[in-house]
Amino acid sequence: MNQRTRIQLDHLFTAATGASILLLLLVLIAVLGPMVYRGSGAVFFSGTVEFRKMQRDLFERADQPALDAEIAETEKVRQAVYEMIDGFKKDMDVEGMSSQVRQIYREFGEELRQKDVPAEQYTKLRELTRGIRDKLEAAFQSQDVNEISRTVDEVLQYADDPRLKDTSAAKLFEIARNFLQAAQRTDLAKHHEYAAGLQEVERILFHSDGLPGLLGPRPNEPLPLLVMLRYGATRWDQAQKLLDRFLWVEQWVQTEPGRPLKMQRTPRADLFPESFRPLFTYVEQNAGGMLNPISTVYWQFFKDDNANSHYFGGIGPEILGTMLITVVGMLFVIPLGVISAAYLVECASDGWVIRIIRMGINTLAGVPSIVFGLFGLAFFVLFLFPLLGFEPRPCILAASMTLAVLTLPVMIRASEEAIRAVPQSYKEGSLALGASRFHTFTAVILPAALPGILTGVILSLSRIAGETAPILFTGAVSLGAVPDSIFDPTRTLSYGSYDMAVGDRLAMMVPHNQYGMVVTLVMLILILNGITIVLRWRVFKKLRGQ
Amino acid sequence: MNNANVTLTLAPAADTCRPLALTPTENLKGYLGAHLGRGLLFFITFSSVLAVLLILVFVVVRSGAFFSTSSIVEFLAGRDWRPTAQEPVFGALAIIVGSLYVSFAALAFAVPLGITAAVFLSDIVSWKIRNIVKPFVEILAAIPSVAYGFFAVLVLAPWMQKHFGFSTGTNALNASLILAVMALPTIVSVAEDAISAMGRELREASYSCGATRFETIIKVVIPAAHSGIIAAIVLGMMRAIGETMVVWMASGNATQIPHPWWDLSQSIRTMTATIAGEMGEAPEASLHRSALFAIGVLLLVLTLGMNVISEYFLASAKKASGKT
Repeated sequence: MNQRTRIQLDHLFTAATGASILLLLLVLIAVLGPMVYRGSGAVFFSGTVEFRKMQRDLFERADQPALDAEIAETEKVRQAVYEMIDGFKKDMDVEGMSSQVRQIYREFGEELRQKDVPAEQYTKLRELTRGIRDKLEAAFQSQDVNEISRTVDEVLQYADDPRLKDTSAAKLFEIARNFLQAAQRTDLAKHHEYAAGLQEVERILFHSDGLPGLLGPRPNEPLPLLVMLRYGATRWDQAQKLLDRFLWVEQWVQTEPGRPLKMQRTPRADLFPESFRPLFTYVEQNAGGMLNPISTVYWQFFKDDNANSHYFGGIGPEILGTMLITVVGMLFVIPLGVISAAYLVECASDGWVIRIIRMGINTLAGVPSIVFGLFGLAFFVLFLFPLLGFEPRPCILAASMTLAVLTLPVMIRASEEAIRAVPQSYKEGSLALGASRFHTFTAVILPAALPGILTGVILSLSRIAGETAPILFTGAVSLGAVPDSIFDPTRTLSYGSYDMAVGDRLAMMVPHNQYGMVVTLVMLILILNGITIVLRWRVFKKLRGQ
Repeated sequence: MNNANVTLTLAPAADTCRPLALTPTENLKGYLGAHLGRGLLFFITFSSVLAVLLILVFVVVRSGAFFSTSSIVEFLAGRDWRPTAQEPVFGALAIIVGSLYVSFAALAFAVPLGITAAVFLSDIVSWKIRNIVKPFVEILAAIPSVAYGFFAVLVLAPWMQKHFGFSTGTNALNASLILAVMALPTIVSVAEDAISAMGRELREASYSCGATRFETIIKVVIPAAHSGIIAAIVLGMMRAIGETMVVWMASGNATQIPHPWWDLSQSIRTMTATIAGEMGEAPEASLHRSALFAIGVLLLVLTLGMNVISEYFLASAKKASGKT
């Protein structure tokens, strides 16, 4: 091969190795970046007045007078929305008008009878109003604006009739006038479409059976049963999504045959008559006034329980559960690990026994985590617990013990390395002073090895906190009360992250809580690991310095 | 263990591991104390071995009901996995193939990348830069598997569906990419150890013959370090095949053997995911549950076998580096 190509190949190779490391770092950023970015949204966000209402009701956390003032302020802005919707409803409510007309006709008859009107005049007036009623009914049935205006005009001829003035029948003319106006404003042929459209608008603004709306239920409406439906958009980003859904209708349409469907957005306002369109511009312009977003730091996310399977609230019980499992697990793994390591370094002399033990440790490290789950279920839960008189059900204790077995190799290896790294001269010096082996170990070697052992402890901690598969059957639940004792199952960050990632539609609607959960777990573990890296570096430097 | 004073009065330098002074006739209490203490320590240390044995025993015992009623051949060669049917069928072939399939696909991504990264750390950059870069690779290993699964489902799957036009984003490609990332730190660190253990002399001999660095590494160092690199690959494979959460969340869980074999965009199902997914629904003392334990046994046998292989290669790597 020619010299130049050889050199170029060499450079290419160097670049390739560099690129592979760079790729690894990029993967790290790609995995952590979106998680951290979106997860921070669980704590730092722009909270609306609905958020503060929710906090007051669910967690009793509010500045009551200030909140009352805020609610009054926002309700004032919202009032116009309610009025516009009610007005449009009234316009569209032909059936309501027709029943009103019939009601008035009956009332008028009563009125006449009470006034003791002569029989002849009574029948005349009765006939006249019946005629008006029938004409109006006919107009209500019609969908042609010209015909309606003709009929209504005919009816309105009698409006100045002195016999009808100042009686209950006068209301008939008012209804007729309103109806004519409404008919001119809206397209009567489209009433059904309007009704459906209005229903959708109300769903987005207030709430539907399963989804919360932009503003939450109207003030005079009975509170929905589901907690999440009782509040509007609690976050400004959520509000903006809903606002977008409110302003635009998205449809998948076929532009060309054989091509994938394309999404088309049309303004929702186009579905409605001119008279109703101001609502859309009003809501768009006054969304801020109606919701009053303020940037919020919701640190209680790490403390609060959740409501409606994580729609509201935080991850307090999950953090508590993870901590409980970790602490109980460490109670098992630290003594076991340190003593094993001490034995392996200090006392072990026989060849084959140690070989078997080392093989055991290595094998244990290679067992798949899900098999630890099976083992925990079969041994701790179904075998050991009944033997000891405990209830054979998944619980924190079983999960901790399972995880302790899983992380034992990590602990042993780190401790062994730490103990082995203590210079031989320490030990020799101590023994030469007449201390016993046991005393030498506890008073000289262990303190010197402590930073290294601590590394092992923290590594095991992070392993226990992060594992999910072993606790699937031994103690983790997705929903449930905060545990009373270590004999109860618990929610954990790891299982919760799984549950929210593959969970129902509800979890998908609160990505900040999804990501908040998993990023809490990841950050916890990365911080623990960061500490071990620093510790190891310092120990390394110290030993080198000597 | 109060034998310090006792032994001191007997003989000042007697308290070593050798029971010189502590014979039963001279000092029964001290003798017993030392030996019981050692026995206790030994027992505690032996708990790791005990745990392995207990795992084996209990998983095998729980699967006994299945193996005593069904034939192993049917279990290993049957393609139908219908545990909840009227007449349940437990043919795990598709599931076993699924596990191996994603693991090998993951290795196909991870091995070239892992070895080049290991070379970069051991041969290209200085010790100082290596010590800065290495923790980042370790962080990749520290991220919990459920977080990787989360990323696979909520970030990678929609992205692949959008950009590659797959019918589903949770498929073998997604799972094997993530598994590759998870296996990489193991491969990088073991391979790096093996490559840097090949001493300076080997490289300098090669350079003095006029070889470039590329040639030295490809033709001399890597062949010399091959047992360590094989160990790294086997350990990476173990990590991939034993991984549960990622494959459960990202592989789509469809019981099928991919066809055509190279089409990674199909959903598959693995052994670990089957255990994780079906254990909760399988009633206690049912054949279904026992069959899941049988899959556990299979998984255990596979990983134990690979463990033996990796131990063998690690041992021979140690020998090889000792020689040079």
